[in-house]
Amino acid sequence: MNEQAMPAVTLNVADMLDNDLCISSEDGQTLFEAISSLIGENKQVIVSFEGVSMLISLFLNAAIGQLYGQFTENEVRRHLVVEGLAADDMELLRGVVENAKKYYSRPMEYDKAWTVEGDDEE
Amino acid sequence: MPKKIGPIESDVYGFNALALLANSSKTFSDEMLALDFQECTTFDANMAAPLYTALTCYHVEKVKAINIRHDIRTILKKNGFLGELGVLNADDPDQTILPFRRFNRNAGASFAIYLSQYMTGRGIPRMSAGLTKRFLQSLFEIFQNAAMHSNSHSGIFVCGQLSPAMHRLDFTIADAGIGIRDNVRRHFNNTINSCSAIKWALEKGHTTRTNNQPGGLGLKLLKDFIRINQGKIQIASRYGFHEISDMAEPFYKLDYDFPGTCVNIEINTDDARNYALKSEIKSSDIF
Repeated sequence: MNEQAMPAVTLNVADMLDNDLCISSEDGQTLFEAISSLIGENKQVIVSFEGVSMLISLFLNAAIGQLYGQFTENEVRRHLVVEGLAADDMELLRGVVENAKKYYSRPMEYDKAWTVEGDDEE
Repeated sequence: MPKKIGPIESDVYGFNALALLANSSKTFSDEMLALDFQECTTFDANMAAPLYTALTCYHVEKVKAINIRHDIRTILKKNGFLGELGVLNADDPDQTILPFRRFNRNAGASFAIYLSQYMTGRGIPRMSAGLTKRFLQSLFEIFQNAAMHSNSHSGIFVCGQLSPAMHRLDFTIADAGIGIRDNVRRHFNNTINSCSAIKWALEKGHTTRTNNQPGGLGLKLLKDFIRINQGKIQIASRYGFHEISDMAEPFYKLDYDFPGTCVNIEINTDDARNYALKSEIKSSDIF
């Protein structure tokens, strides 16, 4: 696939959600579905966070993290560009992406590690 | 028959006392509850949120507070808690209070308006922009976690208090839900105890979300932030209590069942660190 030939679509998050707060899982799901659909159409997706005043990991887990359950890392890398985030929010996004990659590569890892914690005295 | 309440400070003893109050509802058959503050010699304002959690075990609308010392009455009138029990609220001329509020679980936007109203342009607080942003992010993470996981039918209860001389701001978010323990138990079908469940929930990537989505970063991020800020986190959930500060990170088993989850964050408002990162990160470096 020639990346130059890929048509690009910009999603302005604040406009799309009609909200400058990216704090809910439901809004994250809305953005995820939009991105996912455009990647499915082989488009480059530019997600712009211009005008967003608050962003938390809960939103990013649903909006971006979930993409790794549907697409390969290479596909996400080729199709997705994020802009308009302050450096500390980019760092937050990096944490979300690392967590998502780990989650989808070994989803049962944590479950196995903690099912032994029984000892209920309550 | 009145129920007595002793001193309530933001510590394991305070939460234990509130858990006992909640537990006493099991043997209380009256419709009306007279909550007797005679022996309550101190009350940390932020503890109004978990007190409300305890009162949800009774008919809250029929609770009456009696024998309250003047100074404690003033605190609870200023922060609006006594307003919930039919007492007229008092003004807060120093503007050091983030008043008691109840929110529905889906009221993230209303919570944002509340924070914007009480965190800006008042006596609270003169903090750097970076610190304010990290603090607000933390509050939203906790609020939305409670909204998503608590199953609290009574909603989410919040309040806060600034101590200017101490450079400390406490903010508390409580619910009357199933607690972290029962969330973890349902997720893993095990019998984990409350302290172990809190410990589990604080680990990066740990979440009880069931829709095949990654998660479990909110509490870890909060913990990281509070360590840098030299603040404090307290988590009370069912029989478990955990405190995180730069001094120690103890777990305690409560003697009684606290009927939900409460997270208290105390930040050092005198923290001049610039939390904004200077180095540029491109999205191609992330994906």
